[in-house]
Amino acid sequence: MESRFTETHQKLSDDGHESECDKIVKLLDLMIDGEASVEEQSYFNTHIEECVPCFESHQKQKLLKGLVCGHLKRVIVPESLALSIKARIQETV
Amino acid sequence: MSEQTGKQLSKEEKDARFEAELLPVLDPLYNFAYRLTLDEDDANDLVQETYLKAYRFFDYFEQGTNAKAWLFRILKNSFINEFRKKSKQPAKVDYSEVEGYYNSDDVEGEGGVASTTDMRTESVQDLIGDEVASALNALPVDFRTVIILCDLEGFTYEEMAKILDIPIGTVRSRLHRARNSLKEKLEKYAKSMGYNS
Ligand SMILES: [Zn+2]
Repeated sequence: MESRFTETHQKLSDDGHESECDKIVKLLDLMIDGEASVEEQSYFNTHIEECVPCFESHQKQKLLKGLVCGHLKRVIVPESLALSIKARIQETV
Repeated sequence: MSEQTGKQLSKEEKDARFEAELLPVLDPLYNFAYRLTLDEDDANDLVQETYLKAYRFFDYFEQGTNAKAWLFRILKNSFINEFRKKSKQPAKVDYSEVEGYYNSDDVEGEGGVASTTDMRTESVQDLIGDEVASALNALPVDFRTVIILCDLEGFTYEEMAKILDIPIGTVRSRLHRARNSLKEKLEKYAKSMGYNS
């Protein structure tokens, strides 16, 4: 099933060729999510050693993920919930 | 058809197995439900409904497979198919979550947030969490969902694709746009923290 949002993929730059930096931008999420292949990782790491804007984008993306996983508070499960689930299951034949 | 589950379990055995395998997911599941509905009572109902459905279909659940992803998938489907239709009100920011933390003595309004050296103190940590929560809650539910699944629950793209019934390419592009949107909302705040160059 599809969402109400139109999914679009990033367009190639005007001349139809991707610059190295464009490729790096596409790898950002894969890198911070640990989904990049070994080849992608080494391509990425080599590039950001020399390219300051891409290095900074990587830092920002890591920071953003860190804000969510490190600072978003977890809500506390009400104690009664597990009990009522168990009770309702026992009633179910 | 009747012999497809193989060995028949007694109700007691089935219940025990169900509780042992699926109840440990209660905490992340409730948190997911809360982030979708932004309401504690709704989250409660949604989680109960999810477990009852899971119980009904427990024979189809293969022991030892990913219980967490399975339950998240059921919950997300319940939310879309029934829940979102039922609740007519648009998603709202829950301020009750925030209230408690502002009562703390060492928080003096917005001025206290500006200094990065205060970041280690717990009250400032709380404020960052509140800021992230309200930015996240302000996102459309589809965007909120991928960020929670990925960054909070640590699901892989492949697991997210299964939970959401969308191709991995769509997971990636949705996540990318969700993060841009979250970044935008947090940008002003990040600047005040000295994060942004
Ligand atoms: Zn670059």
